[in-house]
Amino acid sequence: MLKKGIAWVYTCIIFTFLYAPIAVLMLMSFNESQYNSLPFQFSTRWYNELANNQTLIDSSLTSIYVAAITALFCVILATMLMLWIVQTKSPLKKWIDSLIILPLTIPWLILGLSILLLLNLLNWDKNFYILLVGHIIISLPYTVMVIKARLQSLDFSINEASASLGANEWTTFRKITFPLLFPAMLAGGFLAFVISFDNFILSYFLIPSGQSTLPIEIYSSIKFGFTPEINAVSTVLLAGTTIIIIFIVTVMKASLKFLFK
Amino acid sequence: MNKKWWLVSPPVFLLISFCVIPLFIMVYYSFLSDGTTGHLTLQNYLNFFQKGFYLKLTWKTISTSLLVTIICILIGFPMAYIMAKVINSGKNIILIAIIIPFWTSQLVRAYSWQNLLRDGGILEIILRKLHIIGPEPLGILFTQTAVIIALIHIFFPYMVITIYMSLEKMDTSLIEASKSLNAGPFTTFWRIILPLSKPGIISGSILVFVPSLGVFVEPRILGGTEGSVIGTVIEDQFFEIYGWNFGAAVAFILLMIVFISTTVLSKFAKEEV
Repeated sequence: MLKKGIAWVYTCIIFTFLYAPIAVLMLMSFNESQYNSLPFQFSTRWYNELANNQTLIDSSLTSIYVAAITALFCVILATMLMLWIVQTKSPLKKWIDSLIILPLTIPWLILGLSILLLLNLLNWDKNFYILLVGHIIISLPYTVMVIKARLQSLDFSINEASASLGANEWTTFRKITFPLLFPAMLAGGFLAFVISFDNFILSYFLIPSGQSTLPIEIYSSIKFGFTPEINAVSTVLLAGTTIIIIFIVTVMKASLKFLFK
Repeated sequence: MNKKWWLVSPPVFLLISFCVIPLFIMVYYSFLSDGTTGHLTLQNYLNFFQKGFYLKLTWKTISTSLLVTIICILIGFPMAYIMAKVINSGKNIILIAIIIPFWTSQLVRAYSWQNLLRDGGILEIILRKLHIIGPEPLGILFTQTAVIIALIHIFFPYMVITIYMSLEKMDTSLIEASKSLNAGPFTTFWRIILPLSKPGIISGSILVFVPSLGVFVEPRILGGTEGSVIGTVIEDQFFEIYGWNFGAAVAFILLMIVFISTTVLSKFAKEEV
């Protein structure tokens, strides 16, 4: 009993540490004062200003646009890769496996600057396609992991059964594999969306001039002066991400059995 | 039928052209004297290794990452142990609650510490009410301490989850067996629990140590003038000074530190298990 008591106290301390800064940020987004000063005085002023701040709205739209395209490509590419990986006996499999996780093992800072140097060498201007490619590369490993977890829990004899009943490969994919894989594709897509939407570093290096994404706007506001709308926009951002993550976890619970007991 | 190269070639093409090749281009730039037009030279590396300033920053980056990793192990291990072996109900909720901040914007989480740690901020007011500090200002924001706190906050979930996964696999009867053989709690921990959770601790350490080496946002936002690390030097070279060749050299050195530490830690994990 004492052991459990200590355990819960420790858990509470850890959660205070994890959530206190976020809670203070959210609280301050409803505070009237421009300098985050106390005493607290409730106001929705910053949300109203947010609704009228065209720069922040435009950059949020750009972020959503980039994240949506990134998610779509990640799902398609990850599904292609995984359908190949689970069936192949190619000696290249090991190499391709480590190629996929390579972007996870290199700091994003280095990935961003090296793509920038590629553009410089080829004498290309920064453009949206390259920005998308950067986002796809960093999000792809996560989508792959989600889809892989699901594929490994599937029984492949079902595909063989389908083939032996005379269905061609495309029909098998459409009628069997795709419906079974769909929840993982959805979850993987949302995960890629979140990673791309939150990503600051890659966008920072690759964004074409005159454009900006929400994280870039937030960074420059923090760096160059105080704008209390940042509390409000961060709160909206945190709330959105939290909803998506809870959604992913719910969808993927069956495949994440190794984590959730 | 087994070939199906069309399935695998687009993603592989993408990764090779925009992840592998750019790294080689980075190495190429690091040996050029100026832009793409200059001649081949070692000057960028000599500049780095001859100036005590950069060597000191390198050491500071490595030691900060080490400190962050060690603190993450120390506070993460008990949390993982509690989740795996002590609490029976509510485990999934705790797990989800640990995962959620982990996926929210790193930038926003770093920024959120500004509000809390600021002089005259909430933490200072609470500590003063509790008579833990006197009337003097808190003085944590814009120091190395603030950066370390934020980095622990950002990378801590990796450590808890990897240790939790290895503890969860461990058979609880081993602990019972050790107790019934009259081993004290310390012996049980040292001889049974710690060795069996080593793979989790090591992979957690890789996941905390490696990204800590490459940060530049947190030191910028929270570290003030004390905040320079390798990451901020690289950012300056690319965004302020336009010394891209020197920046590429520093980035390559950082990449080597990352590779060496990952290799060493993975070797360590394979030993004696």
